[in-house]
Amino acid sequence: MTFELKMPDLSTTGSPIKVLRWLVAVGDFVERGQALLDVETDKATMEVEALNSGKLLEQLVSAGQEASAGEVLAIIGEASAQSITRTSESGHAEEPYDRDLLLNLYRRMLLIRQFEDRVKSLFLEGIMPGTIHQCQGQEATAVGVCAALKENDFITSTFRGHGHALAKGLTVQEMLDELFGAITGCCTGKGGSMHMGNLEKGMIPGIAIVAGGIPVATGMALAFKMRKTQQVVACFFGDGGVAEGAFHEAVNMAALWSLPVLFVCENNLYGASTRIDQVMKNTTVSDRAASYGFRGETVDGNDLLAVYDAAERAVEECRTGQGPVLLELLTYRRTGHSRRDPCHYQSKEERAAWSANDPIVRFAQMLLAGGQVDQTDLDGIREKIDYEIESAVEQAKTAPQPALDDLLTDVYAGGEPV
Amino acid sequence: MKRQAIAEALRDGIAEEMERDEAVFCIGEDIAVPGGWGGAFTVTLGLEKRFPDRMINTPIAELGFFGVAVGAAMMGMRPIADVQYGDFLFLASDQIINNAAKMRYMSGGRCQVPLVMRAPVGATGRGSQHAQSMERYFTGVPGLKVVAISNAYDAKGILKSAIRDNNPVLIFEHKLLYGSKGARVESGAIDATSEIPDHDYVVPLDQAALRRPGSDVTILSWLLMLHFSLDAAQQLTKEGIAAEVLDVRSLAPIDYQTVGDSVKKTGRVVIVEEGPKTGGVSAEIAAGIQERFAQYLKAPVIRVASPDIPVPFSPILENAYRPSVAQIVQAVRAVTTPHAKPQRRKG
Repeated sequence: MTFELKMPDLSTTGSPIKVLRWLVAVGDFVERGQALLDVETDKATMEVEALNSGKLLEQLVSAGQEASAGEVLAIIGEASAQSITRTSESGHAEEPYDRDLLLNLYRRMLLIRQFEDRVKSLFLEGIMPGTIHQCQGQEATAVGVCAALKENDFITSTFRGHGHALAKGLTVQEMLDELFGAITGCCTGKGGSMHMGNLEKGMIPGIAIVAGGIPVATGMALAFKMRKTQQVVACFFGDGGVAEGAFHEAVNMAALWSLPVLFVCENNLYGASTRIDQVMKNTTVSDRAASYGFRGETVDGNDLLAVYDAAERAVEECRTGQGPVLLELLTYRRTGHSRRDPCHYQSKEERAAWSANDPIVRFAQMLLAGGQVDQTDLDGIREKIDYEIESAVEQAKTAPQPALDDLLTDVYAGGEPV
Repeated sequence: MKRQAIAEALRDGIAEEMERDEAVFCIGEDIAVPGGWGGAFTVTLGLEKRFPDRMINTPIAELGFFGVAVGAAMMGMRPIADVQYGDFLFLASDQIINNAAKMRYMSGGRCQVPLVMRAPVGATGRGSQHAQSMERYFTGVPGLKVVAISNAYDAKGILKSAIRDNNPVLIFEHKLLYGSKGARVESGAIDATSEIPDHDYVVPLDQAALRRPGSDVTILSWLLMLHFSLDAAQQLTKEGIAAEVLDVRSLAPIDYQTVGDSVKKTGRVVIVEEGPKTGGVSAEIAAGIQERFAQYLKAPVIRVASPDIPVPFSPILENAYRPSVAQIVQAVRAVTTPHAKPQRRKG
């Protein structure tokens, strides 16, 4: 698949636009949002950004030439078998991604999507207790960040944590069991949907108070630094959490003490039903990092490899004493805030636009275009996932429930309450 | 043995535990500033020289640094977080109540939060917002242990137990009992010094302490009110009333074994609490006694507490606000005088 990059309608008078210089060369891998060339209109000089990620195959207009709005400037995509590669800061291709890694990342994202869709149906069927906050559409943020972490690194999550948990390595079974309130769940049925976690997998229980996990993650990072363990913590929160005082207090301390914590803001545009521009004047969350004296970056959160690369850079900075980092990942929640929310506060146009920007579809297209992977590979992955989930669902439905005696246990360490 | 005030005993206790266990560290505001105060009441004075990497001086951000302490504790550290004034615990309460107290339960016992929190309380000439008796707000939080210290021996022993405990423990200290010195000396301070052994010792977190034996009435109190209660008991001897005084000390859980032993003996109870009567810890203790030992009671349980108002500033008003020795004496007279007895049914 190839994409045509066309000259945007930048001129107010309809006069031709001059290409000043290309910022990338044919053969480079370009990312969506990356500036590709400088142009000059009758009013100003500006950049033209890539609308799609892929390999720059052709430049149809040279520097110094003019083009009209709508004229094709370049062809992007149709990457060769070796062209799904990391891009350095300058946009130049580096080593290619390992095929197994790419397939594993795809598998993780699809696992989250299928898990969430199945959980939703179980919930709507009325056989699963509680409430649910789901993350369909946000799979690339969880998978991209967690792929950049080591097994003994940690994450903190929120009430919308199923994706984070699966990305960090919790099993479908221990999570479904937890959702069914079973003793075999990751929190023995005492946590539920909003408090998924497993210390052995590097995830503390989800903290369901908005922004409540940000100071906790900061403290975990302080422990890692004091003990010189080289571990990193990635702290997931939403755009809604940024307005909480806990965000401000914690990131300030993390910056002050150069802690190994990666603050990951999944900006999905809505805090429950309230749109981000109704609650903040500056809606670029990553801008805030500078005011505390550390680095912030906004990344296309539906571009898995862009998230992964940004997370790898940030994790490396954290591990080498240059933390913290604030990553703002632009994404979209395709499902309701919780339970049966019909999302009437989201416009049809907006939903359609983000549907067309689905992280899993995009990644699959890139993999297929790359030539290393074919549709049979992807279908095989999906079949295995669906089988894994269905088996786990059947097991979870009859998983052992807690005994009533369990009510009073686990309140205190080393003794039970009177 | 050496005679120490609470502030010194706590300081030594912290230092000894930091020597004993590298996971122990202190975190709080103004606790580690060379030339500073060692916290609001001198408890950590000079410790930054001995433990430069483990005295974490924070911004003024109670919610934030209590959360930091929770996170560090979950990763195996043993933080001692303090607030300058107990009133500031309201800022940190999300982290204390929603995270520290619940993390173990909601993880099915797989997480633990070995966190010590220290908070000075009590009305001390500072008006309404640096004065509240905060115990009531935390004693009903499952997952938290809450203790109150009234002398230097307990201060050190309880602090050590709290640090070695695998649960979040909130220690209440009273500003008039610290024995802080220099610029941080408190007017109206009460002597709460003790002989401190040279050897390592701990005081359990779940036990009340008998401070004065007696047979006619049980007075239950803690912090400053314990000292007032002991004064009252001394005065009452002139009237031939032998009051037994218990330092409740462990406010959550309450040691109903020790309390019950005393109630069974005396059959009469006065509970003394600094802080408004409504919703106080004394209400919980009174109810707990009713539920467990009603058949031993010869009279209704009486409470002495502050009126249901904010803490006033003017010394005249503040002294009227805080329960007095005279009020305690009066309450004991009321509960021990025959005509104050309730109608009792036979059988």
